[in-house]
Amino acid sequence: MPDTSWEKPKNFHTQRRGQRLKFIGAGLIILLAVAALLVSGTLQGARYFITVDEVLADASYRGRTVRIAGAVAGETIEYDSERAIIRFEIVSIPSEYDDLAQALHAALQDPAAARLKIVVADAAIPDLLQHEAQAILTGELGNDGIFHASELLLKCPSRFEESTAPAGLSQIPEHA
Amino acid sequence: MAAEIGLASLTLAFISAIYATIASLLGGFRGEYSWQLSGRNAALLTFPLLLLATACLVGALLGEQYQLSYVYDVSDPQTPPLYRFTALWGAQKGSLLFWALLMSAFTFGAIALNWRAERRLMPYAIATMMATLAFFLGLSLLLENPFERWWVLPEMPAGEQVISSALIPPGAVPPAEANLRAGAQGLNPLLRHFGMVIHPPMLYLGFVGFTIPFAFAMAALAAGDLSSGWIKATRRWTLIAWIFLSIGLILGGRWAYDVLGWGGYWGWDPVENAAFLPWLVGTAFLHSVMIQEKRGMLKLWNIVLVITSFSAVMFGTFATRSGVIDSVHSFARSEVGFPMLAFWLVMTLIALAATLRRWQQGALRDEHQFASFLSRESLFVLNNVVFMALFIAIFWGSFGLPIVSELILGKEVTIGAETFEFYVVPLFIAMYLLMGIAPLSAWGASSARRLGAALRAPLAATAAIVLLLILLGTDPLVALLGYGIALFAGAVAITEILRGARARRQTLGESPLRAVCALFQRNQRRYGGYIVHLGVTVIGIGVIGSTVFQTEVQHTLTRGDTVAVREYGLRFDDFFRAQAVDGRMMNISAVTVLRDGREIARLRPRIDDYPQMPMTIAGAHSTLENDFYVLLIKGDGARATFRIYINPLVNLVWWGGILLVLGTAIAAYPKITPAPRAQKREELAYDDTR
Repeated sequence: MPDTSWEKPKNFHTQRRGQRLKFIGAGLIILLAVAALLVSGTLQGARYFITVDEVLADASYRGRTVRIAGAVAGETIEYDSERAIIRFEIVSIPSEYDDLAQALHAALQDPAAARLKIVVADAAIPDLLQHEAQAILTGELGNDGIFHASELLLKCPSRFEESTAPAGLSQIPEHA
Repeated sequence: MAAEIGLASLTLAFISAIYATIASLLGGFRGEYSWQLSGRNAALLTFPLLLLATACLVGALLGEQYQLSYVYDVSDPQTPPLYRFTALWGAQKGSLLFWALLMSAFTFGAIALNWRAERRLMPYAIATMMATLAFFLGLSLLLENPFERWWVLPEMPAGEQVISSALIPPGAVPPAEANLRAGAQGLNPLLRHFGMVIHPPMLYLGFVGFTIPFAFAMAALAAGDLSSGWIKATRRWTLIAWIFLSIGLILGGRWAYDVLGWGGYWGWDPVENAAFLPWLVGTAFLHSVMIQEKRGMLKLWNIVLVITSFSAVMFGTFATRSGVIDSVHSFARSEVGFPMLAFWLVMTLIALAATLRRWQQGALRDEHQFASFLSRESLFVLNNVVFMALFIAIFWGSFGLPIVSELILGKEVTIGAETFEFYVVPLFIAMYLLMGIAPLSAWGASSARRLGAALRAPLAATAAIVLLLILLGTDPLVALLGYGIALFAGAVAITEILRGARARRQTLGESPLRAVCALFQRNQRRYGGYIVHLGVTVIGIGVIGSTVFQTEVQHTLTRGDTVAVREYGLRFDDFFRAQAVDGRMMNISAVTVLRDGREIARLRPRIDDYPQMPMTIAGAHSTLENDFYVLLIKGDGARATFRIYINPLVNLVWWGGILLVLGTAIAAYPKITPAPRAQKREELAYDDTR
């Protein structure tokens, strides 16, 4: 028959404290490991999300991976389907705006707004790459003044946002 | 008429939800049953009211009532009936109403199932659910009203004559029907896909579902009853929420794969990540909840997890709908951003403050201490740490870093997909290893020796398969390691099922099939969980195969030409234009897929010309081994350019998803055990005394 006792062993509390410390220690090690993972990943992969004006004005951004956003000038879109290369131009939009669709439209109407040539290599041409789309690009501005993008994200707010008072509806109703 | 009835129902539902919140709180804090009952009835009423409101909007969509600005925005006379119906969740206004309908349906279900058993908690739970519902209904009524209509004000100057209003402005006349029909926008072509038909409702069901455990946790905190009662009441709700969220995520991936045309299914887009975050916390909770049930431990942690999952749901909803985040999903930009952010903050702070108060009172003290590193509870805690680390890493990369950098540096800093992969790969490896080891350890304490013995069979099975893969010429090493780790987790699940069945056969003499069935019947949660683990294993193998071994090429072919891509060939046969029933023109290429010179499939990748944009529709030949996925880039009768992807094992991602859902359904399926008569009598007697 095994030995049983109703009493706690004399060193019960010390044992429990020791066990607790071990768990806290292990927890801290895990926490530090996760923190190290996050910090090293962030240091390696972080890139600024800046405007076209900023990337053109500051030479220190040349050759560095950055993220930029601009309005797509539809007439400049070219696709070399043999070599799978997309070329187009974007126009600078401000970093803050109330209405994206309006900001894109206004930027493309402004002849003084800064323009940037974009090249995306080895890519299928996205359906959303259209005039007045917002292009969000990750890549590097080369010494040739062309932005070489490795990632292209597009938004077409004017096409899908809820309509604001379409003027066509104001024509006098037939039964009025 | 539909607009008027819908608006009235929506308003009444809003008033009912506010009343239910106040009455339930009064009933709960004062202990007055009449208030509790009144609050409950008002909460129940929201469901039929919102059902009516939703029916009105669906009626207006199907009946082409373009005077409703929502109908005008999301459909046009060419929209087929199915997409007219699914346009209910095609944009902000409709989807908010749909969200509210689901919330009221879940509240209805929670009251029907839990009112008797959890009488003490229910008033507070109802108050929480109704406060959430009232908030969403408020948004719907005041900011994003789906029953707004176009009106023309002939007296106003040109340019200000057309307004959208829920109520009829004085002197207003409706616009001409012909103008409405001519101007209607039509549904975003990107959303015309079966994945998009089901993906949003599934995601919403998941999101809304997580409100129920949160409501019960808040109730437990308010009532001061922090035993495991609230957990037992909500465990199944959590599983239901988790199942829907899982389906939503899988279908979202499938939609991206089929529609976005980049040969992938997960792009670490902030909005995708926002839906993944509550899933991660929910998964952690589903594991740690077992420790509280079995050992009375992690009470504080479980409350924090439930609050975090709800908080993540609210944050995800904000992220998806506010449009403040640059994402492919940001077609729902609107004014609801700030109120949602405020609601998220207020609810999270209230919940955390209530938890802190109860913790200080000592109501969340654990009944046992951790005894051994290798006990099941310790390994489950480690699993929770991994899930929370994934949560923190993904949240940091998607939202934390951009926000913090903007605040400190004045410039936004972001990270790309490769950094997300850097974060998550080691954490997923830890997750798969724990998925294998934890189920083999024992509650309380487990020795390394015992655990080692239990690991022998699954490790041997894994080693045998990896060896076979090496002999078949699989490389690189990283893929083999990945396969090995994923297979190990699956091997543990299979060996555990087989071990259980063998034990039954030996003791009860059952046939193998009967033994397996009985095993699942007797312990649905455990064995349903193993099926989920198997599903995750299959998904892991699919992800490794389709990322490490993907081939992507682009070729221009003249008609009749064939190009070789790995063991396949693609022949360009024909090109023609055709008109679809909804009027859009389709540019269709006819191609033949060959393998070892044999024709194995004929595909028709095409480009559809929608008024808003062209839409590339891929052609795919799918087998378990590979997906041969072709996009038509451009073409005419003589030449066409194709982008070709070969995605090995990608279909395992979807099949694994099905297994995962099946396993969760087994775990969540209610056990039908007739209540003993005495217990029933007792319940009735309790009812009569109130």
